Amino acid sequence: MSARDTILNAIRGGLGNTEIHPMAVRREADALLQGLPSIRPPLLEDGLVDAFIARVTSPKVAATAERIASASELPAAVGRYLEARGLPAVVALQPAAPLQDLDWSGFELHDEVAPDETIAIGVARWGIAETGSLVFHSGADTPILANFLPLHHLVMVRADTILPFLDDYAAATAGQRPPRNVNIVTGASGTTDIEGSLVLGAHGPRFLHVVIVGTPDSSE
Amino acid sequence: MQEATLSFKARAKEALADPTLKIAIDRTTGTAERKRAVAMTQFPQFEAARERGKRIKDHVIANLDHYLLEFERNAIASGAKVHWARTAEEASQIVVRLCKEAGAKRVTRVKSMLGEEIGLPHALDEAGIERVETDLAEHIVQLGGDRPSHIVWPSMHRTREQVSEMFKRLHRAPHQEETIEAMVDSARRELRDKFLTADVSISGANFLLADTGATCTVTNEGNAELTTTPPRVHIVTAGIEKLVPSMGHAIAMLRLLVRSATGADVTQYTTFHCGPKQTGDRDGPEEFHIVLVDNGRTRMLREGMKDMLRCIRCGACMNHCVVFRQLGGHVYGGTYPGPMGAVLTPMFDGLEQSRDLPHACTMNGKCQEVCPVAIPLPTLLRGWRDRSWREGLEPTAVRFGLGIHTFVASRPRLYRLGTAIAVRVMRLFNRGGLVKGMPGLGAWTAYREFPAPAKRTFMEMYKDQEKGQ
Repeated sequence: MSARDTILNAIRGGLGNTEIHPMAVRREADALLQGLPSIRPPLLEDGLVDAFIARVTSPKVAATAERIASASELPAAVGRYLEARGLPAVVALQPAAPLQDLDWSGFELHDEVAPDETIAIGVARWGIAETGSLVFHSGADTPILANFLPLHHLVMVRADTILPFLDDYAAATAGQRPPRNVNIVTGASGTTDIEGSLVLGAHGPRFLHVVIVGTPDSSE
Repeated sequence: MQEATLSFKARAKEALADPTLKIAIDRTTGTAERKRAVAMTQFPQFEAARERGKRIKDHVIANLDHYLLEFERNAIASGAKVHWARTAEEASQIVVRLCKEAGAKRVTRVKSMLGEEIGLPHALDEAGIERVETDLAEHIVQLGGDRPSHIVWPSMHRTREQVSEMFKRLHRAPHQEETIEAMVDSARRELRDKFLTADVSISGANFLLADTGATCTVTNEGNAELTTTPPRVHIVTAGIEKLVPSMGHAIAMLRLLVRSATGADVTQYTTFHCGPKQTGDRDGPEEFHIVLVDNGRTRMLREGMKDMLRCIRCGACMNHCVVFRQLGGHVYGGTYPGPMGAVLTPMFDGLEQSRDLPHACTMNGKCQEVCPVAIPLPTLLRGWRDRSWREGLEPTAVRFGLGIHTFVASRPRLYRLGTAIAVRVMRLFNRGGLVKGMPGLGAWTAYREFPAPAKRTFMEMYKDQEKGQ
């Protein structure tokens, strides 16, 4: 008997060989996700964007955030970030249209992220207010390594893509073909492996800066 | 492996005598305990969430064959290759074979307790494949040539001073400054090029999603994604109990897992892997393999240990265990230490080998209290104790001692005589109301004292009172 059959038979035996009705299993599984507000934490603020920023900048997540009115202001925001830290205007820009279409004059751009890349700029598909997270899907315009190699990761997210809870992300993508990778990124890379004390920049970015564009009801 | 040859008691003695171990354990578990407590105050719904988490896992286990088949079907549809392994050896052999088929010289690994459980590090070393551990703690364990001592912080038995010494000796461009930040940086430099030049990556899974065939890993360092993206082949090994029906269920479990493990709300990186590189993708592996491992799990289902299959490997039980916090993880001798390890190890290694583990417990119930899926760990440990007795594995001295106790305790007159003598003898050692030392009790009184007993036993005083009335 194959390993597969041996294991499946052992499970059926262990469960008393009862018959399973897929529809009943499905109903039971769905019922386990009813009444979500009673089993998840509250948001920090009433407004979605405020709640999101409060999480992103909370000591637990320890990232920085700022708001801009429209995406066209992103290059200037990046410029201010680099200048404040004395960093050169040499950046890896994610090959995604919302970023590539902006006016980056004054910057030296490339799209391949180097192993020791200092600054990379990306765009997240969603923000999650519950946890202050950014969600990325791998794809033609989203190399996964770009989220992990740079030292400074600057991420643009549109205010109208900020969802209240992680469950809302699951609901928003249910039934679609999943990408190879979904990265839910919450703060910079960190480790507590040496004596439990938190150090940022373990292997991934040491600094995460989130730039929120527009308002929840704007289409920009 | 030195630990394996010593008895549990000898290992415990060594651990207690180690002057730095207790400091190292306290630094990590103390922080974890405090942070978890704070997280609980910020999540008033935790109790309800915990009850739901328990029901989600119970639901999955009750329909495990159904969910495994659904997962397999969807994983294959996503382009993954699914393998099944009955035992640890079979699982390791599959992984080593896949590495060899890929012509792998260098393999990068993301920390996975299942990988440790099936002996994968050893199997890869045996096969002559260069193994690079990329999790910082596993990197420290690899440099130190020892074993993980905690399931979340595998190198918590090392103090910062020891880590610093190792990095200085073994890294190509070690840190100059004596700070933890500088040490972490040293590891970052050391591992950078290895991520990008490996042929195969191997990771575990925190959850398997039945409805998409995706696997989910949670990490804080970002090493998982740096590990699994560049190589041509990515292999996931996962226990068959890791299933959840959908992403929504995984999210409900994540809220419990991360708070219980580290006190954070969510790990820095939560990643869902679904199949190999898709058309147009900028990066990712060409091949994606999932090895589903039984290794005793179906036996747990049959042998009354179904509750343990809910375990999501958060480590809260060990962080709060008074025994673990004295001894650390190595003393337990198995892959999994602490209370959950004391339940699992007899299953993996046999009760005869590990009968001391279920005894190394004070039954204070703390582990069950903090368990995010409410596993009755003390009850399961008591089950092993019963079984050890029934199977005659308890040593002669214990059986003899308990035999005498039963004989005396079931004869009230003899029992009363015995206790009357005992309290009088013990009072001879009364020093200001305390007994601080007594022949035959050296091991006990070396570290603690106890109040001197009353002059007479309860029964003696009770009888006098009855007479007086």
